[in-house]
Amino acid sequence: MFERLLRKFSCLAMALTALSLGADRTMAGAAGSELKVPVEYYKLPNGLRVVLSQDHTAPTVCVAVYYRIGFRVEPKDRTGFAHLFEHMMFQGSQNLGKMEFIKLVQQNGGILNGSTRFDFTNYFEILPSNKLETALWAEADRMNGLAVTEENLKNQQGVVGNEVKVNVINRPYGGFPWLDMPQYANTNWYNAHNFYGDLKDIEAATLPDVQSFFKTYYAPNNAALAIVGDFDVMQARQWVEKYFGGIKASNLPAQPDLSEPKQTKEKNANRVDPLAKRPGIAIAYHMPERNTPEYYAMGLIDQILIEGDDSLAYQELVQKQGLTAAVQGGINYLGNMFNYKGPMLFMADVRYDPATKPETIVKAWDTALEPLRAKEVDKALLERARVKLRSDLYGNMGSVGGFGLADLLASFALFDDNPARINSLVSEFDKVTPELIQKTAQEYLKPENRTVLVLETKPADAAKPAEAPAKN
Amino acid sequence: MMNTVLTEKIAIAVATFALCASSLAAQQKQAPPAGGPPKPFNVPAHESYTMPNGMKVTLVPYGNLPKVTLSLVLRTGNLNEPADMPGLADMVGKLMKEGTTSKSSQQIAEEAAGMGGALNITVGADESDVTTDVLSDFGAKAAVLLADVAQHPLFPESELPRLKTDAERQLSISKAVPQNMALEKFRKVLYGNHPYGTVFPTEESIRKTTVADIKKFYDGNFGALRSHLFVAGRFDMAEVKKAIAASFGGWAKGPAAISNVPRVKPQHVLDLTDRPGAAQSTLLVGMPVPDATSSDAIPLGVTNALLGGSFGSRITSNIREQKGYTYSPSSQISRRYHDAYWAETADVTTQYTGASLKEIFAEIEKLAKEPPADAELKGIQSYLSGLFVIQNSSRGALINQLRFVDFQGLGEDYLRTYVQKVNAVTPADVSKMTSQYIKPDQMTIVVVGDKAKVAEQVAPYGAK
Repeated sequence: MFERLLRKFSCLAMALTALSLGADRTMAGAAGSELKVPVEYYKLPNGLRVVLSQDHTAPTVCVAVYYRIGFRVEPKDRTGFAHLFEHMMFQGSQNLGKMEFIKLVQQNGGILNGSTRFDFTNYFEILPSNKLETALWAEADRMNGLAVTEENLKNQQGVVGNEVKVNVINRPYGGFPWLDMPQYANTNWYNAHNFYGDLKDIEAATLPDVQSFFKTYYAPNNAALAIVGDFDVMQARQWVEKYFGGIKASNLPAQPDLSEPKQTKEKNANRVDPLAKRPGIAIAYHMPERNTPEYYAMGLIDQILIEGDDSLAYQELVQKQGLTAAVQGGINYLGNMFNYKGPMLFMADVRYDPATKPETIVKAWDTALEPLRAKEVDKALLERARVKLRSDLYGNMGSVGGFGLADLLASFALFDDNPARINSLVSEFDKVTPELIQKTAQEYLKPENRTVLVLETKPADAAKPAEAPAKN
Repeated sequence: MMNTVLTEKIAIAVATFALCASSLAAQQKQAPPAGGPPKPFNVPAHESYTMPNGMKVTLVPYGNLPKVTLSLVLRTGNLNEPADMPGLADMVGKLMKEGTTSKSSQQIAEEAAGMGGALNITVGADESDVTTDVLSDFGAKAAVLLADVAQHPLFPESELPRLKTDAERQLSISKAVPQNMALEKFRKVLYGNHPYGTVFPTEESIRKTTVADIKKFYDGNFGALRSHLFVAGRFDMAEVKKAIAASFGGWAKGPAAISNVPRVKPQHVLDLTDRPGAAQSTLLVGMPVPDATSSDAIPLGVTNALLGGSFGSRITSNIREQKGYTYSPSSQISRRYHDAYWAETADVTTQYTGASLKEIFAEIEKLAKEPPADAELKGIQSYLSGLFVIQNSSRGALINQLRFVDFQGLGEDYLRTYVQKVNAVTPADVSKMTSQYIKPDQMTIVVVGDKAKVAEQVAPYGAK
């Protein structure tokens, strides 16, 4: 529901203060499209990471709290729990009963949401800027403690069960490939389980599970708070201290080993989707480690290979061979190439016709890809990729009421302890050479490093509805 | 795609609840800080003018991000299709991207990408648009590219077979989505043979489309008189204006916009589509309401937000937060040119299909009978007032707002007085809007689900 609301605004672009540009000056020339985001970063004594980024373009403010607990790390007998728990964060805290948090934000003219991702769970509000203190108080209140009941839990188990049905089970291509592929391509349970959750696991969750999860992960030393928009920095710092300063740090458990073993052989898998009318195929490669030179190279390879109608894959699969209408894909289907920490996939997927063999699609994909592996990429093509990437990045920063920027800043605070790196990203991509593109393509975009998943339309004998994809 | 799924959750609020953590009941709760006084907000200023050939231009300098969005909005769409050619307008949009008289599709794609953008053509019922979102440096160049695509399409014969294959595939994929199935039924019941009654093309209409049909549609429906270019973001005003004048100034006026407002009456129909084995029932329940130009449109919008159109709304809090029947309930006022309907949509647990309908109608009836408390209404008014700021605080959102006002002919005053009108709505108005326009006994009720399991549950809601 909220997503629909967001979509209405999407496209958008909220403003950021560009220190390098006078607010009244119209830009022109190449230097005009560079951007410096103001970033103020510090930690409270209890470990809470705080990032402030001022922008007075519109009288709105975004408050985002990111907890470093994603769906990778959830109890092994409780798939989908991190996400179910996220719902519980809206069910009541010490000073706000069920529904009062949402009501508070809405009655103050704001919108809100939460989401569960690979490496974090986030909660955010966008409000008129005079309501910043109200939002900080409310987020601190639920960081301080939950007050939820069996009844609340039962209610949200019903809601989440319906969420999984509407997004996965009752929908053609539900879960394809965003939920399916990690389960086939990865081998470490933390990366390879059904993170939306088996319905029976969701139903099995108990109130003590909820309390224990909160106690373990929802603490200031496991969180980042980002404030973006129209506010006074000194005033904001005072409120942050006042409301979050007294919350106790916890003893965080050691992070389990999330690493994926190096893949040495191509993997192939099929699954039947009885609701789908046309076959689909997804191809996924393990990404280089985040923030390495090869990682930045993959960001540009994504632009060259998949993003936009000028991409090599679009030109080959759509324009030249007419196999499909579009090639979707990228790094991190549940976010972008910046807002994750652990092992990640670079993936593409298409829908095609039954008359076409899946091998034909894979072959066309390889044809599109081959030039990147065979020779150094053309300088003009690389330059175009950099422009696309920069434009995408600014587009990301501009999304919905400052949230896009808050998302990047909170991720960089949580994962890198360095939100100011938002201002050096472009230069990291600028360092990527044609030689590095070729080397990265050779090393990572090879069959030994990939999984090909075919979604079939014909129900096989024992086919069940597209619930949890069985592992092949 | 990227945004799908795990997002959203959340939820709801509601006025009437008495629940609570009993362990905390005795404890004194803190009240939230109220915040400071609101800052004044004015919709960012824009400059609008009409070129000698009748094309309109609206320029909105906005924000600090080095980006600019250009959207050429055309008053044409599925409304203009011949009755036996549904989907023709979509095919026109697709073939437009396949080259101009001077550029191949690949050149167009590469040129847009080189500015940091992509060229997107969207075709709707009443309007279509050619849009790109580029780095600020390229505002003028992007205007020239849009002008070329809109005015000089090549419509190459060679690409049509591929696009038809794509369209057939897309049709088959779309029609299997339960929400789409429900929408198709609902529109057919409400609009019958009016173009708004047709959501999808047919295999036949796709197959028989020729380049001649496409060119004929283009000639009959494109031109300066039907076009409005919106530019929002950071850009060099003088340079962009100059580029617009040079690249669009020579466009022929073309035909004037056609208006074809349907005469719609409520249709109290229960339409159950069998989807054997469906894991949920997809509901779409609604009826025609006054359109955007009515003086009741804003009070009705407030009523909708309170009833089902926001997180804190009554229907959402009932069937989601109290009952857990559904994840994604929502009501909205769906608008076309001087036409609108109210509808509630939800995908609900199969065994509670009838119960969900019961609760939806009970909430409507209750609101029709009893005006909401002042505090509840005030909350919704504050919500809509805050939302209005967000809806006018980004490039894309600003274009959407200005485009809506222009398309519906609401006048410049609309945005200036919107918040004031929202806040003038009284509790009695809300009840009146509900009883007058949102009537359970006149609703079209579309259900897509497992007939064997739901037929009996929904039967009581059919026509009596």
